[in-house]
Amino acid sequence: MARQQGWFALILALAIAAGSVLTSFPLQLGLDLRGGTQLTLEVQPSGDITKVKPEQLEAVKAVLDRRVNGLGVAESTLQTVGDNQLVLQLPGVTDPSRAARVLGSTALLEFRAQKPGTEDELRNLIQLRAQLKSVLALNKTKETSESDAQNNQLAPEQLAEAQKALGLEGSAASELEQLEQLLTRANQEIVDRFEPAALTGKDLVTAGRQQQQNGSSWEVTLTFNREGGDKFAELTRSIAGTGRLLGIVLDGRPISEASVGDQFKAAGITGGSAVITGNFSAEEARDLEVQLRGGSLPLPVEILEVRTIGPSLGAENVRRSLIAALAGLILVAIFMLLVYRLAGVVAVVALSLYALFNLAAYALIPVTLTLPGTAGFILSIGMAVDANVLIFERIKDELRRGNTLIRSIETGFSQAFSSIVDGHITTLISCAALFFLGTGLVKGFAATLGIGVLLSLFTALTCTRTLLRFLMSYQALRRPTNFLPEGQLPSSAA
Amino acid sequence: MAVSSSTGQERPLRFPLSRQRRRVWLISLIVLIISILGVVLSWTNPQIRSPLRPGLDFTGGTQIQLERQCSETCPDLKAIDIQKQLEIISQNNENMKDLPNLSSARVQLLDRGQSVVLRMPAVTASEGQALIVALEPIAGPFVVGGQSVDTIGPSLGGQLLRSSLISLLVAFAGIALYISIRYDGRYAVLALVALGHDVLIVCGLFAWLGLISGLEVDSLFAVSLLTIAGYSVNDTVVVFDRIRERQKEDSDLPLETQVDRAVSATLTRTLYTSGTTLLPLLGLILFGGATLFWFAVALATGVIVGSWSSIALAPSLLSVWPKQRPAGA
Repeated sequence: MARQQGWFALILALAIAAGSVLTSFPLQLGLDLRGGTQLTLEVQPSGDITKVKPEQLEAVKAVLDRRVNGLGVAESTLQTVGDNQLVLQLPGVTDPSRAARVLGSTALLEFRAQKPGTEDELRNLIQLRAQLKSVLALNKTKETSESDAQNNQLAPEQLAEAQKALGLEGSAASELEQLEQLLTRANQEIVDRFEPAALTGKDLVTAGRQQQQNGSSWEVTLTFNREGGDKFAELTRSIAGTGRLLGIVLDGRPISEASVGDQFKAAGITGGSAVITGNFSAEEARDLEVQLRGGSLPLPVEILEVRTIGPSLGAENVRRSLIAALAGLILVAIFMLLVYRLAGVVAVVALSLYALFNLAAYALIPVTLTLPGTAGFILSIGMAVDANVLIFERIKDELRRGNTLIRSIETGFSQAFSSIVDGHITTLISCAALFFLGTGLVKGFAATLGIGVLLSLFTALTCTRTLLRFLMSYQALRRPTNFLPEGQLPSSAA
Repeated sequence: MAVSSSTGQERPLRFPLSRQRRRVWLISLIVLIISILGVVLSWTNPQIRSPLRPGLDFTGGTQIQLERQCSETCPDLKAIDIQKQLEIISQNNENMKDLPNLSSARVQLLDRGQSVVLRMPAVTASEGQALIVALEPIAGPFVVGGQSVDTIGPSLGGQLLRSSLISLLVAFAGIALYISIRYDGRYAVLALVALGHDVLIVCGLFAWLGLISGLEVDSLFAVSLLTIAGYSVNDTVVVFDRIRERQKEDSDLPLETQVDRAVSATLTRTLYTSGTTLLPLLGLILFGGATLFWFAVALATGVIVGSWSSIALAPSLLSVWPKQRPAGA
């Protein structure tokens, strides 16, 4: 009896502990239940590197981590998956385009000196680019207003001339596409007029942003380390007063060209800081700042998957899963009460404890609940019920054979034991395989099912048993008809 | 009349399995042939070319789901209108020059036109947002926050399939090893036969659904197959456990009788357990909405087929496969 009371106290303590865990640790809901964006990124091998090594993956992750922090999304997580992938979760973010833009680019910042003797070419190219940009901008606003169509076009002869200048054949593509092509080509030509990089973003200490004096656009400020400051001074000294320009190139795209005044001829621009004025909007400046602060990616990344779920869709999923689980559980409880009578009451209490322990385990470990995870939970309830059914069927068998109630209960438990253990262990084996080898969805499912199976083993073999023994200590309840209809009892025992 | 619990008189057999076993095999065989036919037809179908019609999760692409804001009933909307609008967008896509041709996009209306599902070749995140804005005039207004955009690269689907298959095979091997140690090799083989039977029939059902109504399988389907595998083995092991017990206690009786008695003794349990597992699934089918509907259907089918294979198929096969070593070892 003392041992039984010990078990009873343990179960009670566990139930109270589980309850308090649930009130103090919230359940973590997956993105499919609460809404948000999940991006899967793959690190691409480039140049000499044919296979991504773990340390390179970590290096990419470190850079992306800094950029993600720069995005300022609460509770975002970035995890490595497999050999070359990263999964980023942004709860609450439903427009992934900005995150995709900020994370997806390499952000290699380069400072380059103009090649000698290209002054005229470069001036023409820059002029052409400005022209193209303004026409494109006008065309885009035209798209929405759809009026005043013809006035803003580049004259056909001008277009043809520009194409010729850039060595592009007039193609059948639409005018806008031609313009886009021209712009890309012009940018490429501009970059070609510059020497290789003398200084890169590697030598940056930090980056910031500020509104320009004229007030309309933003600029990005840079602070170099000592080495970078020296390089920058040397670079600016070499072109000061020559009319050659300083090119600032981001990921192979020119973002700004600046002239360096005569006064810097002696020592170059010293002090280790610089400003990029690229006509940025507030958001562009912020994104560039975030990217530069985080540093450039050692290897390029490609976005493999973007999953976005709106919060109301997520809430709908939660609501429906909960209703389904509850409706199912209530039906199961009614069924157990009808079929097993007093034992059914024990089963319902044991299964309620089981559900409580499960949720507490999810909160404590913590397991992030996803849709497949919920499915794993519902199915593990099925297994927990199975364990109780196995025990009670054995007890009924023993009663039908004319055994006494107490003996039937003890035999029922001991005989059901081996099949319960075998069934649970085989399921645990598959859970382990799915958890350690599976990915994403499968892992979440295996985690909840595995925890469920372990707890089911515990509740079936201790809670059900202890509760049943406890009830049997009351003489009034110790009647076989509390377990089995009168007619099924052998006449000798009745 | 004191009766020992182990050798007490048995109740009359409720399910004389050994007399019915040819019928059991015939039923399983017919269902298996229909399932395999579905898989093969799906494989040879020029539009599908795969055992099951693969969904977005496996082929890659973009799926946009939108919830329409409707006061009581949603204004009439036909899928073809959205399709036309998408084609117009993809022809005049100056702002998005990399936008793929959207004429191959598939449009589905769910929940009595309340939500719209679009599937198309992969588009970028910003293009997806632009498409939603472009569709607002004809299908909107949309519920703010009631949208989901999934874009999946094709390599990711292959990866999911590969990792699921590998983990499933390892799980099978682990289960077979465990059962061989706890029971013997025959039981391990038959548990896997029952498992293969269950998984194949569920695949067959979805192959037919894919052929007839164009239903696609997603990663949740892969999860459901894994669940069915686990459930099937658990179900079968309990029956095997009872057969082993009978073999020890009724070792003088023929194997067929031992199996029959074990199956009869566990029949109630198997039916009750399947029933109680089906109840939450029924809840999911009735209340779970479109996202979980087919997932629940796959699981429910698996539970029903799994009960059949553990009550009827696996034990009946065991009863004609005598042990090589002396019984009672």
